[in-house]
Amino acid sequence: MVSIVHIPDGFLSTPVWATLDVAAFPAVGYMARRAQRGFDDARIPLLGVMGAFVFAAQMINFPVGIGTSAHLLGAALLACTLGPAAASVTMAAILAIQALVFQDGGILALGPNVINMAIAGVLAGYLPFYLWGGGRWRTAAIFAGGVLSALVSAVLALAELMLSGVRMPAAILGVSLALFLAAAVLEGAITVAVIGALEKIQPNFIRQPRAGRPWALGAAALAGLLLATVGVLFASAAPDGIQRLGRQTGIAERAKALFSTPFADYQAAFFQAGWERKAAGGLAGIAIVYAACLIAGRAAARKRRP
Amino acid sequence: MHHIVLERWSRGASALHARDPRAKIVPLLVFLTALATARRALPEFSAVLFLLLCAALLGARIPLLAALARAALVLPFAAVFAAVCWLSGDPARGVAVALKSYLSALAVLTLVATTPLPALLRGLEAMRVPLFLLTVAQFLYRYLFVISEEAQHMSKAAAARGAPVRPMASSGARFRAAAGALAVLFARSYGRARDVHRAMLARGFTGRLPTLYDLRFRPADAAFAALASLAPLAARLAVERIG
Repeated sequence: MVSIVHIPDGFLSTPVWATLDVAAFPAVGYMARRAQRGFDDARIPLLGVMGAFVFAAQMINFPVGIGTSAHLLGAALLACTLGPAAASVTMAAILAIQALVFQDGGILALGPNVINMAIAGVLAGYLPFYLWGGGRWRTAAIFAGGVLSALVSAVLALAELMLSGVRMPAAILGVSLALFLAAAVLEGAITVAVIGALEKIQPNFIRQPRAGRPWALGAAALAGLLLATVGVLFASAAPDGIQRLGRQTGIAERAKALFSTPFADYQAAFFQAGWERKAAGGLAGIAIVYAACLIAGRAAARKRRP
Repeated sequence: MHHIVLERWSRGASALHARDPRAKIVPLLVFLTALATARRALPEFSAVLFLLLCAALLGARIPLLAALARAALVLPFAAVFAAVCWLSGDPARGVAVALKSYLSALAVLTLVATTPLPALLRGLEAMRVPLFLLTVAQFLYRYLFVISEEAQHMSKAAAARGAPVRPMASSGARFRAAAGALAVLFARSYGRARDVHRAMLARGFTGRLPTLYDLRFRPADAAFAALASLAPLAARLAVERIG
């Protein structure tokens, strides 16, 4: 299966990679500070070695059906064992090493890749576990975390590619969405199986979130995340629709002002009119998912502190 | 393993190897940006950039064909993407994507093949990338091969015990066995991380890796950075003026 989550350089259009690079830098800085808080600096080797583990884990293949196999991506597993902030930093380090040493993913595309996997993927993987990991629905929560993390990463990557002007025929889009869904379900199943086995070896590897979080809040957060993900995809597939919606509510104008200011001259020189407005609509969608994940993560981290 | 090749290349002794890492990172970013934003006369521009990179690789005495083959790792991905563009009636975009992704990968390879990773990360630190992230990346790289070899030992041991006997075990049982192997690998990695941490504490580790040398940005580095940054820009201007 071709992995689209490591986007190489040259695939994304300039506004998309530049915006996401600008967004990724403070996000990783924030996650690093968050991970360092209450975390002895001298424990840094732990995160590094766990990053190496994720690399190695991709060598162990899981049999799926006849003659096919899958492997773990690891965002949800890391989030459930190290916590979301440390897992984000670890994923970001993995992506940086992959881009530099293994030519897997681009340098200018590092920002988009970090947002897709290390920020959105990790937080989406942690959210269900944070909400229901302490109660009866623990296994389901871990499964949902694995599914969500893989799905959110892949959908964001696909949306960024489409925002960059790739027109995919509906058939190919449908096939790739079906493949993403299958890969996401596998990620969920593998995460559940590995965490189950880990708990048999040593129960205290897995974090123990408090039981009894309000159902309604969690369901709303999860529904919001799903809606935003689907919304981003549709927005990038048909930017005109969301643009119309945005004009009615005034969001698009603000988003456009916000997103296009750094590149204002640039776009005038390089891009034909109309193009940037479409991108602004879609990017606003990505920004909403990003903000939702960041707020959820911040809330999660605040409540966890004693 | 192919990583050893890169380690050997990056420890060569040429004028390009001797440059300060910052004097190579800045031109790389200029190169990538100039390439990513190019629209007109892309094939000609790509040809010029390709020759520039080949000259740099030859100057650094890096085996040219091996480097070109290594950068081709991105091509399968680009090929799928180009096929999609072709199907949707936009073959020009497919070609552009393949050219841009290959040249970008080759440019990054040129940097990494002439700069040892610790020096590269020091350069990034001097350019204000968060130290926490860089230290994690540094440890990740150091233990990558240790843990990977552990994973290989485990899968070899599993094969020696007859793991892939398909008719014997159901798919579910093999799935659980793989999960168990991964959990053991996790536990071993975690245990090793703890040992590494304790050993480093015993040696006075405070969260910052000491280096044996300081970065020094000499006039030659400044001259190289300026020239190497100007080259792709000049090439682009020239190609677009003619084209």
